[in-house]
Amino acid sequence: MIEVKNLTVVFDEKIVLDDISMKIGKGEFVGILGPNGAGKTTLVKSILGLEKPVKGSVKIDGVDVDEYIKANGARIGYLPQYAIVNWNMPIRVVDAVMIEKVKPFGIFRKYSKSEMESVRYWLSVFGVEDKMYDYIKELSGGQQQRVSLARCMMHNPEILILDEPNTAIDAVYNTRLYGILKELSRKNSMTIIMVSHDIGAVTKYVDEIMCLNVKLHCHGKSGSINFSDVLKEVYGKDMEIVIHEDGCKNCAFNKDKQ
Amino acid sequence: MIWDIILRAAVVGILLSILLSIMSYFVVVRKMTFAGVGIAHSAFGGIALNFFFGFAGYIFPLFFSIAASLLIAFLYKRGNMSEDSAIDVIFVFSMAFGVFILSLSNGYSANMLGILFGNILSVTNFDMITTLAVFSVGFVFMTYLFSHFQLISYNEELAYIAGINIDLLYYLFWVVLSVVIVLSIKLIGIILVNAFLVLPTLVGSNCSKNYKGIVAVGAISSILSVVAGIFAAYFLNTPAGATIVLVFITIWLLSFLAKKL
Repeated sequence: MIEVKNLTVVFDEKIVLDDISMKIGKGEFVGILGPNGAGKTTLVKSILGLEKPVKGSVKIDGVDVDEYIKANGARIGYLPQYAIVNWNMPIRVVDAVMIEKVKPFGIFRKYSKSEMESVRYWLSVFGVEDKMYDYIKELSGGQQQRVSLARCMMHNPEILILDEPNTAIDAVYNTRLYGILKELSRKNSMTIIMVSHDIGAVTKYVDEIMCLNVKLHCHGKSGSINFSDVLKEVYGKDMEIVIHEDGCKNCAFNKDKQ
Repeated sequence: MIWDIILRAAVVGILLSILLSIMSYFVVVRKMTFAGVGIAHSAFGGIALNFFFGFAGYIFPLFFSIAASLLIAFLYKRGNMSEDSAIDVIFVFSMAFGVFILSLSNGYSANMLGILFGNILSVTNFDMITTLAVFSVGFVFMTYLFSHFQLISYNEELAYIAGINIDLLYYLFWVVLSVVIVLSIKLIGIILVNAFLVLPTLVGSNCSKNYKGIVAVGAISSILSVVAGIFAAYFLNTPAGATIVLVFITIWLLSFLAKKL
């Protein structure tokens, strides 16, 4: 259980998050929506203890987040925003997937057979197992992002926090990605918190939705929220929502099949 | 006698170049190549104080370099400054301070060429023993924490979640780098020591795509440059630092051409 209580974060005297309170239960798949600058990334960083609030608290399983991270950091899988990862490192995909498993004298290290099998398995889940020995800087942005998702899974995390996982990922794989995440949440009772700009997909796949714009405007079951009103409140009154369904009859790529 | 001098310089050069090659990998990957310039030039203030007080040891240069590197790290971490800007401020202060103090000292100019460009005659037995001690500690530090620094360089947020004390390791890295650079000044000189923080990884990157290969090739090319450079400097009667760096640049050029052709 993740419990955020009266969380307020301030940067240079500007309030970025204002009195946020929420609870996320074990195994829930939560989507966080909001416009640019709404504080979505700051919220997930606060949940990870990366940002320190001026007021309020974050507890995971009843323990303050900093203490939880010290004791159980490996139980959290985290996908940071695509742009803040150093993709120019001279490492292979297998090294990138294993990079969080720090060990003394790591420069002389060889991976065990079970570690290699685990890397191969998670790369195959995200459809990039054929890239295992390629260098990360030579991959496309979407492939790099899938490698990062495989890295997140290497600890079999109880909590998975994804900051815009669909950045650079193509539309077709996006749908598959949400399906994989939904499956992980359901089968492994994994708590997933996902920041996304993909409103249509988020409303379709997640269990709970949070609409954020400095304040928490809504938090509820995916089907229980009147979205047109809330999203207009969060994004502004010019917001227009068009929901695309899979197999859309008017979509170009489906016309050939008909 | 002369072979003793060459041997001492070669031992000091080889030990420092191995350590600098490992550190060079992180300096280049983290885009901190200006750091070497900043730290080496910061030592100039300490060397000037040595002249002023008539000392010959490492105390003042080390104090200046370590203080400068910690200040650079602090300004970057806590002062919302870019590393380059922080280095620039400290670097120009140390140089200005050094020139100011030197102008108050008598008879400094004769030794200045050696400080700026290296002098193998100045490497003593004490330097060799000090370098051996620093190499032992620095080598264990860098190899033991290699994968920690690798993760920090990949993404600091992931390193924090993995339980790594990023700030502590960041400051320690700068302190070790300062000590190694100060020890390198006698052999390579203030102006050129940064070559050993950039060229090993550049040569390594021309020969290998993998970090292990880059570090290994970097270390081998550094050792080759030091040994060949010292011999060339002795026979040609040229400044050691400049000769070593010219050999290193030649190796880099050859590796670059080999990669492109």
